[in-house]
Amino acid sequence: MRIARGLLALGAACMAQVLLSRYLPSLGRRCDLFTILVVYYGLTRHQPAAMLMGTGAGLVEDSLAGSILGLNGFKKTLIGYLVGSIGSLFMLNQAIPRFGILFAATFIDPLTELMLSVALGQSFVVPGMFDLLQLGLGNGVVGLLVFWIAARIP
Amino acid sequence: MGAVLTERKPFLLLLVLLTLNLILMSSRVRGSGRGSLLEDAILGVASPFLKSAAWIARGAAGTWNSYLDLRGVRVENARLQEEVAALAPKANEAEEARREMERLRQLLDLKGEVEFPTLAARVVALGSPGGARTLDLDRGSREGLRANQPVITPRGVVGRVIEAAPGIGKVQMILDPNSAVAALLQRTRIQGIVVGEGDRGCRMDYVSELANVEVGDVVVTSGLDEIYPKGYIIGVVSEIEEGEGLTKIVKVRPEVDFRRLEEVLVVLKPEGAPVRTVR
Repeated sequence: MRIARGLLALGAACMAQVLLSRYLPSLGRRCDLFTILVVYYGLTRHQPAAMLMGTGAGLVEDSLAGSILGLNGFKKTLIGYLVGSIGSLFMLNQAIPRFGILFAATFIDPLTELMLSVALGQSFVVPGMFDLLQLGLGNGVVGLLVFWIAARIP
Repeated sequence: MGAVLTERKPFLLLLVLLTLNLILMSSRVRGSGRGSLLEDAILGVASPFLKSAAWIARGAAGTWNSYLDLRGVRVENARLQEEVAALAPKANEAEEARREMERLRQLLDLKGEVEFPTLAARVVALGSPGGARTLDLDRGSREGLRANQPVITPRGVVGRVIEAAPGIGKVQMILDPNSAVAALLQRTRIQGIVVGEGDRGCRMDYVSELANVEVGDVVVTSGLDEIYPKGYIIGVVSEIEEGEGLTKIVKVRPEVDFRRLEEVLVVLKPEGAPVRTVR
């Protein structure tokens, strides 16, 4: 049941991200629903569930984006692990801490990619700080909205 | 050992997953860049969601476009309704003018057939004070109207002028119970007097019991009363009844529709002048 719900959540995120990037591209560029999903799992489920969701979400994102398969999987798995670790240590039920986690998770993504690119000898364009801030804010706001909706789903 | 493994289980899982991802990445980096089987499988799993997204997007776009079209149609509809509202009176005026022209043309044709000068007049009032059946014209004594001048239309006889004041003339219709018109049956030339019966039409009196009369016979003026020109249609026989004594009761339905009368022709006959016109 949990696996089914997880797959369904992943499918919904995939669908929503496609719709956003097509019809609201400005918002689509400023929020990463896969990251939000992994953070949600990290804060509300066990660490392994968050990591598995991170791998799954990352691989789907790689497939959709046409990037190196495993790149986003690696990043999202790491995010799942870190957020899961924090979620198991602290009670993060309030909006502000959750916003902070979502904001921070946004920065883990390019940092990890930078390290991996260096390790694999691939070129990497460092995103601008303003773009990252916008993405962090977008993830924070949309993430809180997603958490609020998810909390009302039976 | 087991406790350590349980405690470090998340970390071990992390290592496994990261290694898996690294293997995937390195194989892709080394390879030709073509999609792997795993990638195809992931896309296969994700495709129902992608198709759903496309379906939702198409539906949303279709609904939005329909909404925009509907808004356009609504605006256009409002504009067209305004146009119709603005044009309707004009169209009505044009239709009225056309009909009036047609009636006046018929009056003009009739004018050529009458021996005396004629005057076209508009009906300004149609009244029945008491039991009388009269109508008022917009022409009066200033234009030459005098008592006992016949009033006709292309369809038939209307009545006679009974009063003429400056700017207005009063006409007694043949429906009036006090009206009497010397008449004859067009087919058999049998003579009689047509008198008014109000809303019921007219009646032809003094028709012999032995006279050959049939329903549908046309009744025309005989000219013997020296008011109406001879040969103008009054109406048709609608009913024949056995009368008292030696006469028949012949009901006549007038040809003129008095409720729709708008323009008439007044024959400007000098008082007492004999009428010789035969139609």
